[in-house]
Amino acid sequence: MNGIALQFVDVVQRFRVIHERPDTLREVFSGLHRGAKRTTYHDFEAVKHVSFQIPHGATVGIIGRNGSGKSTILKIIAGVYKPSSGQVHVFGSIAPLIELGAGFHHELTGRENILINGLLLGLSKRQIRDLEQQIIDFAEIGEFIDAPVKQYSSGMYMRVAFAVATAVDPDILLVDEILAVGDAGFRAKCSERIASFHERGKTIVLVSHDSSQIREFCDRVLLLHNGELITDATPDEALARYDELIGHSQPQTVPAIPGR
Amino acid sequence: MFQFCADLYRYRELIWALALKELRVRYKRSVLGFLWALLNPLLMMIILTLVFGTLMRFSIDHYAIFLLSMLLPWTFFSQSLAYGVESVVGNAQLLKKVRVATLVFPVAAVLANVINFLLSLLPLALLIVLLRFPLHWTWVYLPVPMLGLFLFTLGTCFLFATVNVFFRDVSHIVQIILSAWFYVSPIIYSLDFIPQKYRFFFRLNPMLYVLNGFRLSIYYGLLPSVQSVAMSLACGMGALVIGFGLFRRYQDSFVYYV
Repeated sequence: MNGIALQFVDVVQRFRVIHERPDTLREVFSGLHRGAKRTTYHDFEAVKHVSFQIPHGATVGIIGRNGSGKSTILKIIAGVYKPSSGQVHVFGSIAPLIELGAGFHHELTGRENILINGLLLGLSKRQIRDLEQQIIDFAEIGEFIDAPVKQYSSGMYMRVAFAVATAVDPDILLVDEILAVGDAGFRAKCSERIASFHERGKTIVLVSHDSSQIREFCDRVLLLHNGELITDATPDEALARYDELIGHSQPQTVPAIPGR
Repeated sequence: MFQFCADLYRYRELIWALALKELRVRYKRSVLGFLWALLNPLLMMIILTLVFGTLMRFSIDHYAIFLLSMLLPWTFFSQSLAYGVESVVGNAQLLKKVRVATLVFPVAAVLANVINFLLSLLPLALLIVLLRFPLHWTWVYLPVPMLGLFLFTLGTCFLFATVNVFFRDVSHIVQIILSAWFYVSPIIYSLDFIPQKYRFFFRLNPMLYVLNGFRLSIYYGLLPSVQSVAMSLACGMGALVIGFGLFRRYQDSFVYYV
């Protein structure tokens, strides 16, 4: 499993931020009529000319402040967004899942949701049937598996969701701050599962705000700032740079107090 | 179109699971559960039979059967559309989080209603036997008009679901369109009732051709002409080509608008 798992070449993701979007036909027509209240928008680049390569078997963290483009990059990798320009190459299967439990229906039982979620993640029915018991055991959910998920505690819900998402066993695992799931015991199990992915030579991309997690898992870290990739380095270097960045940029948002 | 069939095959398990989910959610927490899929049309048919068999008598023999032969497929169409129009917007949370072939949602919405529709044919057959109306052998021909109807419904759902992503009003308008469409289609009446000079306008309605085969085989016990079959399938394919074409063209931008 040598070679490149993921490659971004000069990727830009632009969003059109629309103000006063005419969501209804009436607004469109009245807008045409009077020509007055036209839609205004500005293009917002959530990801700006980002390039990087991730080799197979690497565990790479993505850090940055809120709105720096971390999740957008994960969504581009997953294929939810098509980038506005640039190229994305993904070599290997991917779990196209960004958020745990997306697609769970609260009226359906855990078992029914496992089936639908598994199918959404690209498994076949047969594969899911084979994995089902393993998922139920991992989630430590017991007989609640046949109760509608609306009766689950949020911890149970997330445990089932995590169990399904990682049972898929993709070549490239995308993790978006989902390790803060459940109690300490379950968190340890999650960490273990991530570690086992790593041991088996799988590629992991991890978005996190938790620096200890980043240090624990990652051998490389990408630091994003306002959609730009500003550092691509070892965890210690990148985290140091990140601390520096937070330290520097925060005072900017607060107006300077005269006389200080 | 080839792409469409390939995707259908590729996602067949997911589509099937989503359709079952839709039905399961619909009948969940009701004591009779899935039985409602049979009971509902049966009760509705009994009411219609009573109303038109005793209260309002038309010159049409066995008016209830005459009506039901087209009302059931129409109900399928209108319910599919009511669900289908929301099928993309309603799954916004999924679209934003998971890479998934968007087409599975409208298809699953229609498929759930196909199952419902097929189930509703059982009480119809039962009613026909109870009323001592002949159960024509032409029933075996029903799969042909069904194919036309399903294709037409699917195409219309794709069209409305796509437009609804960009203009949410569509989900409101759809009910109005459906009720107008219902009255201009010869469901409660026959095209013969319409004065000759206006019939031309009624013939522009694709629904006429899509529904025609149902009344012919269920009520009249006749096989439609080749021409009529061709028209029904052509309407179905035409709707699908237009609807799916539009859907395909815009599906990549759905995620930014839902």
